[in-house]
Amino acid sequence: MLRKIVDISTSLKLTIVCLAAGMALIFAGTLAQVHLGIHEAQQRYFQSWLVWWPAEGNGFRIPIFPGGHLIGAVLLINLIAAHVKRFRWTSRKLGIHLTHAGLIIMLAGGLFTDLFAVESHLRLSRGDTRNYSEDQRHMELAVIDTTDNDLDQVTAIPESVLKSNRTIDHWSLPFRIVVRNFYQNSRLKILSDAGGNVRPIANQGPGAMIAVEPVPPTTAADERDVPAAAIEILPKDGGSLGTWLASDALGAPQTFSCGGRTWMLAMRTARYYKPYSVTLQKFTHEKYAGTEIPKNFASKVTLIDPERNVNRDVLIYMNHPLRYRGETFYQAGFQQDDSATILQVVHNPSFLAPYVACVIVAAGLLVQFGFHLVGFARQKRRATA
Amino acid sequence: MKGRVALVSLAVVSLAACDNKSQIKVYRVSKAPLEETGPDQQSAMPANAPSPSMPGGMGPVASTASAPAPANWQPQSLSQMRQASFLVKGDNGAVADVSFVSLGASAGNVLENVNRWLSQIGQPAIDEQKLNQIAQHLTTSIGDVAVVDLAGLPNGADPAKDGRIIAAMTSSGGSTLFFKIRGNAALTESQKSEFIKWVAEVCNARGGTKSPQMAGAMPPADHSANPRVESSSNPRLESSSNPQIKWQTPPGWSEVPPSAMRYASLSAGTDENKVDISIVTFPGEGGSDADNVNRWRQQIGLPLLTDDLSGSNFAQLKSPDATFATIDIAGPNARTLAAWTRRDGQVWFFKATGPSAAVGKEKPNFVKFVQSIRF
Repeated sequence: MLRKIVDISTSLKLTIVCLAAGMALIFAGTLAQVHLGIHEAQQRYFQSWLVWWPAEGNGFRIPIFPGGHLIGAVLLINLIAAHVKRFRWTSRKLGIHLTHAGLIIMLAGGLFTDLFAVESHLRLSRGDTRNYSEDQRHMELAVIDTTDNDLDQVTAIPESVLKSNRTIDHWSLPFRIVVRNFYQNSRLKILSDAGGNVRPIANQGPGAMIAVEPVPPTTAADERDVPAAAIEILPKDGGSLGTWLASDALGAPQTFSCGGRTWMLAMRTARYYKPYSVTLQKFTHEKYAGTEIPKNFASKVTLIDPERNVNRDVLIYMNHPLRYRGETFYQAGFQQDDSATILQVVHNPSFLAPYVACVIVAAGLLVQFGFHLVGFARQKRRATA
Repeated sequence: MKGRVALVSLAVVSLAACDNKSQIKVYRVSKAPLEETGPDQQSAMPANAPSPSMPGGMGPVASTASAPAPANWQPQSLSQMRQASFLVKGDNGAVADVSFVSLGASAGNVLENVNRWLSQIGQPAIDEQKLNQIAQHLTTSIGDVAVVDLAGLPNGADPAKDGRIIAAMTSSGGSTLFFKIRGNAALTESQKSEFIKWVAEVCNARGGTKSPQMAGAMPPADHSANPRVESSSNPRLESSSNPQIKWQTPPGWSEVPPSAMRYASLSAGTDENKVDISIVTFPGEGGSDADNVNRWRQQIGLPLLTDDLSGSNFAQLKSPDATFATIDIAGPNARTLAAWTRRDGQVWFFKATGPSAAVGKEKPNFVKFVQSIRF
């Protein structure tokens, strides 16, 4: 049995099947972007193990095609396994070994990037200081213990956890959170405007006066969903603190007390805190003279890192990002009236993998073709002689 | 060989099974600005729901309220519910959050909403009678706007970012409009006149009137040769009656234009030794003495007193017309002298606040000033 598995995992046929499946997936995923938008298509086709039909819902669903994760993982296993099985060291095969090693690094780097890279944004008005960036594509339910005078303890529950878990029981909270309703995208309305039969999904806070209308997830690249959830707070020592509406559309956190401590509840974009801060000193938006055509965008920021005694000004502009502590800050956008800059913050531990892989593959191909060229030249010289 | 291949497969599958984006995270951060949800840079991308906040493009919009806001109010991103959102920054990290929300007709009555705001600052609910005592009314072209000034610090809250709510509410054309400034008590106090002015401008703009209606503004008192400065852009809160008082201005004191909530303002000293003297009147009791004293304590950075404050804590000061309760509160840097009296269904507060040394120097003048009050 094991032998059969090894044979399959090292077979060239599997490589061909994976490559063909990859091509089909890319084709289908590209077409799907028309209706789903780039982000959703990426999620469903490339950042998934299986492509499902129908894609949404809790009812009966069947997998109709392997997703990007599955194809990539199988291809990686196939490549490594074949290499391990057939590896024989000879100098004439140095080029082949190098090329395969480069491909393995590229595939593994892609997998690492997909799993561990984090993209977020930092929006700063002039003079603003921030020590966190935000991921506009992912929301989180922040349950914040504000009792302490100096520090808040934040328990950040990702949207995906809210979506998939009925009850959240975490060590950091003296209560359980029961998700009564979750809407991927929603529109909030004042109860009186929503029609006579509509009831609020919450009975505490402003949510008790608000109706939540589910709407289809957005597919536009420049829009995002507005998730909403009705969550009941159940203290671990018994009782209920009622059901609360969590939505970033509410605009303000809600406060309650439990276990002798004060808590704040807010649905917000996922945050990534940093041990340093960035202050926007100046944003420059240059245009070509007499036109509205952009010439250059630049953000002059002050980077302050108390741990490392860093306090310096940095100019971030197109193709000149700031790299610091494993994160890269790119000039990504700006507010329409130029009063604020938007920096894209990328944390990618394997950002070097594609560069290293390309160099190794190129070297491998050069060596391999070099051997053939030398051999061919020798043969020709011998034939001429 | 088989073992190595199996090991490699296992490693790849295990790696692929990792998903660090779906884990609950727990961390500690320094106190965040009040209600920064959004405001705070909540979106560099528009939400797809019909939100006034994100009409397109990458940036947020400061306000859909058609009235200019004070220059020191920093525009913040909006949410679906907020039509205007600002952050005001003061000294030593003090912040206050300003919001304007328009809801439907059934967004609760004034009492329900005042009690909701009181609960936000850890204060007990009040009844209709108490509400009548503390609520004031601003007359605008869309009707009366109820204004309340609430003080209190929730347990564990940061005094730099919380401690006071000034809120205004009115119903107009099937909508209920809510205006609120919440934040550091002293900073919120300093923004009070600007806030009231802004509320009036927003309401009048919605009503199609350019200049705020001044109905019910208090008439100028005849106690001084200096005419009261009446600014058409500085709306006054309407009082249930228009009482008039007189006093003698001590030497070295001068009258200054009063802000929206004040009956009159005086000033003594200059620059860093400036002492601000205010006269404020409300219909009714004007809150309990304990609440008022605690509010003043907060304004100069002192903790709340949990002891029951009774009349014995206050010194009495008599004038030919009235008997005043007085208190002298000294904080680390500032000091407040206050005197108050209740008569004819009205409460009168006389307060001098400023640097400790300067207030101490003006204390004899303050006593003479209070004794000179004639109703």
